[in-house]
Amino acid sequence: MCKTILYVDPGHAFGLKKRTHPFYAKDFDIVDQYSFAKTDLSGYRCISIPGFIDQEYMQTQRDKILEFLHDGKILIFCGHLFRDWIPGASMFIPKKINSFQDYAVHIQKNHMIFKGVKEDDMTYNKGVAGFFARGFYQPPKQAEILLTLGENEVVTYIDQNTTNGIILLHAGNDLFSYMQANKTTDRISTQTFAWVQAAYDQRQKERVSN
Amino acid sequence: MRKIAILYSGNSVHHKTFYDPRFKKYIASHIYLPELASTALDEFDVLYVPSQLNGHLLLQSKEKIINFAENGGIVAVFGPQPWTWIPNQNWEERPTNFWWWLEKDAKSGLNLVNPDYHLFHYITLADVTWHHHGVYWPIEGCEVLIATDDGGAIFYVDQVSTKGTWIVATIDPDYHFGSYFMPATERFLLGFFPWLAEGKI
Repeated sequence: MCKTILYVDPGHAFGLKKRTHPFYAKDFDIVDQYSFAKTDLSGYRCISIPGFIDQEYMQTQRDKILEFLHDGKILIFCGHLFRDWIPGASMFIPKKINSFQDYAVHIQKNHMIFKGVKEDDMTYNKGVAGFFARGFYQPPKQAEILLTLGENEVVTYIDQNTTNGIILLHAGNDLFSYMQANKTTDRISTQTFAWVQAAYDQRQKERVSN
Repeated sequence: MRKIAILYSGNSVHHKTFYDPRFKKYIASHIYLPELASTALDEFDVLYVPSQLNGHLLLQSKEKIINFAENGGIVAVFGPQPWTWIPNQNWEERPTNFWWWLEKDAKSGLNLVNPDYHLFHYITLADVTWHHHGVYWPIEGCEVLIATDDGGAIFYVDQVSTKGTWIVATIDPDYHFGSYFMPATERFLLGFFPWLAEGKI
């Protein structure tokens, strides 16, 4: 039986611990990126794709992803997009940095993913800024803007309009990796998972009523 | 100028790093990793193996890369190495201290073992100093260029394990430069590529 989320694994050195981590073991099936083409997606509510993914390959999987979204399901990509495989998404734009304050993360909307998360905990790690996000996206019209750098540079958005499904795009590290740092950012992993379940249920209800 | 081929993973950091015109001008070919098994390496002098490659594909091509070195090629390998595939590889993973530079009287713990080595006409110790994820313990006959205080190799050259040359480093400049983080990595690559292309090895 499929778990809630399919995590597409780039198979890189930094990602090895995810394969055995209890958080992922509970709710994620993990598949090597090059097996994505032959993976049956029908049982999954969400696909989570990290920044180390081979985007040349993902570009060849654009139709499969679109089909998944057409079923009212969720796609999460956390990283720097440079190929066109996510419907409605722009390419990643690196931010011009003049001062560490340019890395300041702002919450634009009260949303369950970032509930109780302090902006400074996202911006700073041991007093150093720049770990959370170093660039942004030009979101599609009507996207829900969750986080920005400065006032306008969109780090995180949710797009429920471009397809029948839901796209969460984040210009930083895997949102599910925020845990065990003893600060409010630890909430992001579990709250993103809770959002996946709630957003999926809501979208499926809407599809039935339509 | 040596003919350099790079293994290109298709991820965003490698795309950013290896298509930057300042580095791309030294690269004769970007070999897409899924196509490595079917790509001839005979025409190249150097194969650059960056950090964070897909482990399955890398290990599938282990013999091919070793054969390239046995034919006299230069293989440059970067990053933490959880898979055993480099000849006489003796990797020790260590916890990464990202924060040493915030401490009082901060010391990176890195040392140039052979400051006269030709690479250091192109880069300085500061250009390789950010953090590392482990060390190597190379076999006798290898030339350790940069080491930790306790002698673990951060950067070494092995001309004894095969008929070619292995340049092996635990640091991961391709990742940090490509993720817009860590200015030393830019300086490192600006020096390393010209050395790899033209320097004394």
